[in-house]
Amino acid sequence: MDAAIIRQLRKIAGQDAVLDRPEELMLYEYDAGVDKGRPGAVVLPQNTDQVSRLMRLACENKIPVVPRGAGTGLSGGAIARQESIVLGFARMNKILEIDAANQRAVVQPGVVNLELSNATAKYGYYYAPDPSSQKACTIGGNVAENSGGPHTLALGVTVNHITGLRVVLPNGRIVELGGKALDGCGLDLTGFFVGSEGTLAVTTEITVKLTKLPESVATLLAIFNTVEDAANTVVAITQSGITPAAMEMLDGWMLRTVEAAVHAGYPLDAAAVLLIELEGIKEAVEEQAVAVEAVCLQQHGREVRRAKNEQERQLLWLGRKTAFGAIGRISSSYYTQDGVIPRTKIPATLAEIERISKAYDVIIGNVFHAGDGNLHPLIIFDGRDPVQFANSRKASKEIMQYVLSVGGSITGEHGVGMEKMNLMPLMFTEDDLDVMVRLRNSFNPDSILNPQKMLPETRTCREITGPLPKAKVEPVAGVPV
Amino acid sequence: MSTIATSSGLEHELAAIVGDAHVAHEDREISGVAPALAVAPRSAEEVAAVLRLATARELVVAPAGGFTKQQTGGVPERVDLLLSTKRLNQIVHYDPGDLTVVLDAGVRLADAQSRMAEHQQWVPCDAPNLDVATVGGLLATASAGPLKSGFGGLREFCIGVQFVTADGKVAKGGGRVVKNVAGYDLMKLMIGSYGSLAVITQANFKVFPKPRQTRTFVCPFQSLEAALEFRNRVLQSPLAPLCLEIISPRAPEYLSNPPRVQDPEDYVPAQPVTAPSSEWQIVLRAAGSDNVLARYRRELGPEVARELEGAAEAQLWSWISHFADNVLARHQNAMVVQTHLTIQNVGAALRALERAATDHNFLPAVVGRAATGNLVLAFVPLAVDPPSAMQYASCVSAFRALLPAGSSAVVVRCPKEAKAHFDVWGSSPTDVEMMRTVKRALDPRNILNRGRFIV
Repeated sequence: MDAAIIRQLRKIAGQDAVLDRPEELMLYEYDAGVDKGRPGAVVLPQNTDQVSRLMRLACENKIPVVPRGAGTGLSGGAIARQESIVLGFARMNKILEIDAANQRAVVQPGVVNLELSNATAKYGYYYAPDPSSQKACTIGGNVAENSGGPHTLALGVTVNHITGLRVVLPNGRIVELGGKALDGCGLDLTGFFVGSEGTLAVTTEITVKLTKLPESVATLLAIFNTVEDAANTVVAITQSGITPAAMEMLDGWMLRTVEAAVHAGYPLDAAAVLLIELEGIKEAVEEQAVAVEAVCLQQHGREVRRAKNEQERQLLWLGRKTAFGAIGRISSSYYTQDGVIPRTKIPATLAEIERISKAYDVIIGNVFHAGDGNLHPLIIFDGRDPVQFANSRKASKEIMQYVLSVGGSITGEHGVGMEKMNLMPLMFTEDDLDVMVRLRNSFNPDSILNPQKMLPETRTCREITGPLPKAKVEPVAGVPV
Repeated sequence: MSTIATSSGLEHELAAIVGDAHVAHEDREISGVAPALAVAPRSAEEVAAVLRLATARELVVAPAGGFTKQQTGGVPERVDLLLSTKRLNQIVHYDPGDLTVVLDAGVRLADAQSRMAEHQQWVPCDAPNLDVATVGGLLATASAGPLKSGFGGLREFCIGVQFVTADGKVAKGGGRVVKNVAGYDLMKLMIGSYGSLAVITQANFKVFPKPRQTRTFVCPFQSLEAALEFRNRVLQSPLAPLCLEIISPRAPEYLSNPPRVQDPEDYVPAQPVTAPSSEWQIVLRAAGSDNVLARYRRELGPEVARELEGAAEAQLWSWISHFADNVLARHQNAMVVQTHLTIQNVGAALRALERAATDHNFLPAVVGRAATGNLVLAFVPLAVDPPSAMQYASCVSAFRALLPAGSSAVVVRCPKEAKAHFDVWGSSPTDVEMMRTVKRALDPRNILNRGRFIV
């Protein structure tokens, strides 16, 4: 990047807050997904005012800016296109206020998701959305992607937990949206900006809802001899009138892979397990645990185990939350999808994935948020083998076509980003996308902010090509699911 | 009001889109302004054609559903066309197994609820007048009732929306699945936009299992402070009530069926023979098994004066939901304000109400969501020496000035004469210039509800 620009960036953010050496920039060229792109410079601002001045500078010089949290995203949302400035929020990582009486906290975007819950636990509260990467991912990134997680089944995703934002527009203007009150008069721009993938403004302060820690938690592991029985159980529980806090499924292949890596105590000979968590007051949790167990057995579950203590509970979740990392032990490359289907379609969809897996001779593991119908099929392949590589792409395409054919969505929580940009016309018409482009252009007119993300460049509906599911050499342990 | 839309040429053009039978003259006024014509399209495509015509002719359009909230908002500059959604009335898709429903904008929510009740499911919205109010209108006005405490507002469970922009493009956001982050969250833009951005034509919702058993616990207190302290205790406890309401001493008068009044303007409430009660109430509604309800009784303890179930329980919640309508049925000139507050500012707002109302010849009465800060405040004009139009304005300014920073207070109903003297919307914690940016993007010619919304 131009030396004069670098000098000005340093003047705004400080000498040590601007990185521009190739070995430094390399660290910012990837996220936890498949895409790559090296930025022209990385700036680590320390406050809103600096972000505003940086945006003005970038705007005047027409340099693209890409905001970035911890880089745990799976859709390329925080990856630079062209010679961009990456705004890293590692130094804006303070919890500014915990207002327990109003069930709110005010945080900077670089605060790590789990740290917020840890800091509020002593008041009896936590921050509910829990992406599997919660030990590393930031609230700012969660806001940009409208992140989910296993426990969003009962409590909702990020947008259901954000009441206020301070944002910086591409022209440098600092703007307040909402606040501590649940809502306010006028348009709900807070809700609209959550999940906008950094294409409208840069968030520099976030007001979140805090949720009461549950009095009682029951974690059940239901074991099945067939995937179909497990899938039918999900449908049956959903219809039973019980909303678990979380309901996750791992199929047999996933179980064995996870077990080899972390010894969570999963049964090695099962075809599938459901990890079901119930939360609330103890009377309700006990009754629901009994009811859920009965449904599981009625749907031909082989056995239902219940975590006897917190340690057992953590172990069961460890297996789930490190599932993607476990793949790294056995395969050099994998590609995951994030499609969502209506919940009654889970049995048919899993059968279809099984058929596709056989047809293309690729291994497809399933570990996903069954309660929401949010699939994460993991397509395992050897990226060095051109036949496997091509087959994995074809399999991936067929799965996505099926998901859309049953009325689904291309992404439940990972975001569109670079990765699924070209799939957007399969879900949205030209007019739908035109409205979205109009809105983006009115806040971010020159596409200075996070250009070429989320909204496709050409809006004609074309065959699913998407970006290639590229080889991913070293999956990082604990990457989000 | 307008002469533009009365030309027979326009009537013919509209009839060519929707059919002769669905273009009519409209009697119902909006804050005193009579729409020139009413048109009722039967599909999103027809809505688009009507809006394209309106844009070409610069006609001001007011979208309308059940007409339960049309008097909220500023006085329209003019209304050339009332666009009724009454013919968009299909329950398009409902799969109890998926717990999702797709409803046309003109569907009355009560009709959809009775269909879902067959499967012990519901959309947990208990806004008033659901037998008349439509899905589109409820979304446009972000309507809610006491259940907002336990479930949140429509924004928490509207998962998809289809709408027509002012220039006649049919567009959508979201989808039919319960978790979805593809594209911008256009549902959030439409909810609470009061028909100022686009005409909502269809919406998709997450559906919930309906509780099989509920009970309501009524807890009276001698002071506001004691009531709020109890509320804080409930908030800190493990209990998770569906509803948590606060009821002011004067409100119970309006929690009953309204008397039949020939001319509400002449109605004079009976003067109380004794000093009005100073009793504040916290009312909780809980769902669960016998064991769960027993736990509620233990936790709430001796504060519970009455426990309601069945018809009596349903009746109380219906009255609470219809509180503002009940006040207005008895006092046509009453003013109703809705607040957006933090939990701990509820007390300050109630004290502000007491002071502002008393200083301006109103009697205050309140019900509201004590745990979310969404209160419904009634300013009942005194029968003797009633307030002037100007006094409504000064009362609202005085009340808003007393509210803690970050609060907002929207005047949802007041005499139309008073609207000339103040802004019914008031200030917002959200940047208004940003709202204008959205308005310009979706309705650049300002043909939708011109002059009525905050932007």
